[in-house]
Amino acid sequence: MAAQDPRAQPPEEFVDLLVKQVTEGLLPDEQRKLDELDAATANAYREELERSVAALTLAGTAADSAALPAPLRSRLEQQAALYFAAEARQSTRAPATNVGSTARPSSAVLDAPKVAELRPRPAQARSAAVGWWAAAACLLLALFAWFRPQSAPTAAELRARLLTQPDAIKVTLGATQDPAAAGVRGDVVWDPHGQRGYVHFVGLPQNDPSAEQYQIWIFDADRDAKYPIDGGLFDVGSRSDDVVVPIHAMIPVHLAKAFAVTIEKAGGVVVSAREHVVALGQTT
Amino acid sequence: MTSDVLQRIASGEATAVRECLDEYGALVWSLARRLSRTPSDAEDATQEIFLDIWRSAGRFDPSQGSPKMFIAMIARRRLIDRLRKASAEPPMDPEEVLESIAWPDSAAVAETASEAEQAVRALAELKPDQRQVLELGLLHGLSQSEIAARLGMPLGSVKSFMRRGLIRVREYMNIDAEGVAVRS
Repeated sequence: MAAQDPRAQPPEEFVDLLVKQVTEGLLPDEQRKLDELDAATANAYREELERSVAALTLAGTAADSAALPAPLRSRLEQQAALYFAAEARQSTRAPATNVGSTARPSSAVLDAPKVAELRPRPAQARSAAVGWWAAAACLLLALFAWFRPQSAPTAAELRARLLTQPDAIKVTLGATQDPAAAGVRGDVVWDPHGQRGYVHFVGLPQNDPSAEQYQIWIFDADRDAKYPIDGGLFDVGSRSDDVVVPIHAMIPVHLAKAFAVTIEKAGGVVVSAREHVVALGQTT
Repeated sequence: MTSDVLQRIASGEATAVRECLDEYGALVWSLARRLSRTPSDAEDATQEIFLDIWRSAGRFDPSQGSPKMFIAMIARRRLIDRLRKASAEPPMDPEEVLESIAWPDSAAVAETASEAEQAVRALAELKPDQRQVLELGLLHGLSQSEIAARLGMPLGSVKSFMRRGLIRVREYMNIDAEGVAVRS
């Protein structure tokens, strides 16, 4: 295949669509029309248009020096701290597990400190003096039994512990009319102070992670209901009747008033079209 | 401040966050206010944009443009996405804000970013109608239909002005980048 010339200009009707895409977004039928243009040309030209638009935007904002409001800046710093902490934990800990053992949390989890506390402590080396080897061996056996490696707690175990905390709230998730929701029941346990929680489902159908994934949403009383907080993605395997998945709120949740789970394209979405809501529940 | 702060964010250096907010917070906030329907939307958008920045910092390539261009592109993508999702709502369109926003001259943007300076030079060559359409679309966040209604101009003319204006700016930026005129 010949390399695409990034300067090549597509036919006018496609240029108009690309211009509209980078300035205000496209309607679904316009997007379908644009999809007729080969992707390499579209991507290259879109990139150049975006650069032009961004340059004009920078020029237009040159005289605007309004600083971030202090409360917003504070929230941004908190959000960043959560994000980088979750990233750091994700890169240093084993993935959480679940009851069904085939569901896979797709994002970083926020319960790493508790898991880390329960990780196996290193075995202590002991030297035994000649003549005392038998006693030393017995001692080492006893130590090994005492310090034997413990597996990290599962998400189900962590959820059970969270349930015992006085501040934790439990929300029953109701199934919707969506076909995927047939026979599904579940709940959410959420710790508003620790900003962590778990979604628990029974009967949620298996998904094909390459095509679509389940996505958790948290409706915050302080935010527009049109833009709930992304609580992370998860998949359900073929043998997962009972699934527990950690919630990974991408930004701090001030006051959770509802939770929902939708089916979205692989990788999730920033804003759900809410075409496949499989479960939702409100706090009381 | 250089691209260094984005590289440090990409490597997970959380302390670079404050520097990034110091350097680019006003830019993102300015864009969010202009291209959001309500002040509350602007705050939500700002949080989403910075989350995108934390996630995307590793993709920054200094050879492709300045950090400000990178940030502005991320911010615009997020804001356009939010505007499209909220398009059923009536726009926040206070006249006093609309009247106060316009392109500055090239001297005023000299310290903003070289790309912005190029863009302003290209704007100087556009017809007044083209400039006005780009101003309303890019600085005020009006849709092409809204621009047509506001100016009493056929939608086709708005599309044409916007297309030709952006193509001219694109050409100008390519000329400046390589010293070779590229004509479509």
